[in-house]
Amino acid sequence: MSETYAVTVEDVSKSFGSFKALNGVTLRVRQGEIYGLLGPNGAGKTTLIRLICGLLEAHAGTVTVLGQRMPQVAVLRHIGYMTQQAALYPALSVEENVRFFAAINGAEDGVKQALELVQLYERRGSVVATLSGGLRQRCSLACALVHRPELLLLDEPTVGIDPQLRVQFWDSFRRMAAAGTTMIVSSHVMDEADRCQRLGLIQYGRLLAEGSPADIRTQGGSQNLEEAFLALAGRNES
Amino acid sequence: MSGHRIVAITRRLLQGFRRDRRTLALLFVAPIVILGLLGYIMRGSTSAPEVGVANQDSGPLGAIVADGLKSSSHIRATDINAADGDARLKDGSLVAYIVLPSDFSQQAQAGTVAPEVHLEGSQPGEDAPVIQALQQSMISLASRVSGRSVTFQFQVKYLYGGQNYDTLDYFGAAFVGLVVFFLVFVITIVSFLNERSQGTLERLMASPLRRGEIVVGYMLGFTVLALVQAVEVLVFALAILHIHNQGSVFLIFGMEALMAIAAVNLGIFLSMFARSEFQAVQFIPLVVVPQVLLSGIIFPVSTEPKGLQWLSDVLPLTYAVNGMRDIMVKGADVTWPSLQLDAAVVAGFCILLIAAGTATLRRRLG
Repeated sequence: MSETYAVTVEDVSKSFGSFKALNGVTLRVRQGEIYGLLGPNGAGKTTLIRLICGLLEAHAGTVTVLGQRMPQVAVLRHIGYMTQQAALYPALSVEENVRFFAAINGAEDGVKQALELVQLYERRGSVVATLSGGLRQRCSLACALVHRPELLLLDEPTVGIDPQLRVQFWDSFRRMAAAGTTMIVSSHVMDEADRCQRLGLIQYGRLLAEGSPADIRTQGGSQNLEEAFLALAGRNES
Repeated sequence: MSGHRIVAITRRLLQGFRRDRRTLALLFVAPIVILGLLGYIMRGSTSAPEVGVANQDSGPLGAIVADGLKSSSHIRATDINAADGDARLKDGSLVAYIVLPSDFSQQAQAGTVAPEVHLEGSQPGEDAPVIQALQQSMISLASRVSGRSVTFQFQVKYLYGGQNYDTLDYFGAAFVGLVVFFLVFVITIVSFLNERSQGTLERLMASPLRRGEIVVGYMLGFTVLALVQAVEVLVFALAILHIHNQGSVFLIFGMEALMAIAAVNLGIFLSMFARSEFQAVQFIPLVVVPQVLLSGIIFPVSTEPKGLQWLSDVLPLTYAVNGMRDIMVKGADVTWPSLQLDAAVVAGFCILLIAAGTATLRRRLG
């Protein structure tokens, strides 16, 4: 049976000056799956996400998203992108921020549902500048998913938030994936990896391994995902 | 107080500046550029105001005064026909012309002379050398009329302005536009920089928004604010300060709006070249101050050294200021070719900046 891929990255390389941020990366993300992009800081995760949403252009290789070769503006209305920092307008309220991102995506009817999903509906009138880091992250997530994108790119969405909220976030991600949304979640926290259906381990701009968390454990020869990652990284360096 | 801790703060401050070359450049290069420019404008200017002399005197004394005017160091006098005088004032080739009437010699013999002094009048400062030169010529005339004293009764006529026209009227017309331009520029550059630094621009770029839509959306948003500010400035200038205005309020507002749009787009464009609000504010002395010095707001462009006049001629603020003065001081309407040129240049600059602003957003894609 042929599988449908929401994202196909083929032998992609990207450099910034003499620094090679990505070096021949190939990966495929199936429709409706949660794909974890794991690696240490500076591994190339954010660069890969920016290539997928067309913010950067690859020097070599191709990126195909929802059947369209990137960069392609028409595809962007089907993509939701949550940046690493909670990129919001601090002088606007929660609802005003979400409504703005809904408007530029032509989906103002989704505001209430998005606010409810991140449990911010009661706080919708609060000005973002007055919110805690965790609440800002929730607002940022609502902005990314308000137009019900087919592909959601989440760049370290759980950095700096408490464990309780992290659990809530992952519950939301699972519900959205169940409803058919494809998700690429980058993280450098290994305990989040088990929540993903498939993982891509990335270091120094190269994809070290790809597969389900169980596959990665097998490949790395350890039941501990962090140890498996370190073993795979060590093999790559030697 | 601990000297050690104070020294630590001082050292920390200087260490930070060491790596911020742009701030260092601002601190040490900008003062030289600004003062150098000021010195060059004020000392490099050699051009005395151009004055026409129409000597209609049938007797011999008019020629003596005319020669006195021509040899004066305060002005550059040339013979003209009185009938051409007003046209020469309007096209800017003269700042004044003096008519010595046909009975001038007889008037002098009778003890009272009344030469006509026609002043362009839009620049208050330019009257003084003309009057001074005429007074000196009259003194030399008095020494030639033997046996009696001669009284001077200049008949001063203004093409623009008038006797009550003062320095505020002259500067006010330019500042009404400049205040809007300056404040809108500062607000836009800082806001757009915030958009970049808080990450929202990256988010907008990953949305279906086109880059042109971002720039035009920004332009409209700030233009709304700027227009409200323009109305406030205009009402204050005309109703409270009673700045001289001969033109249509709607035209002034239109020119202010063009300046505001130019300022918004200049802000968006330059925000590309700053990494922090601190650096953005540094564009004020580097970009705005030379424009203020060279655009004719303070020193008329015609009195600048030739090299600087070419520079002034490519600065949009020169045309904006000229347009504001044409409207407010001279009562220009849309049929005036000079006003059409001013508006077209400022509008062209706006279009150029919209394109440049959009292009800088594209550059961010890397």
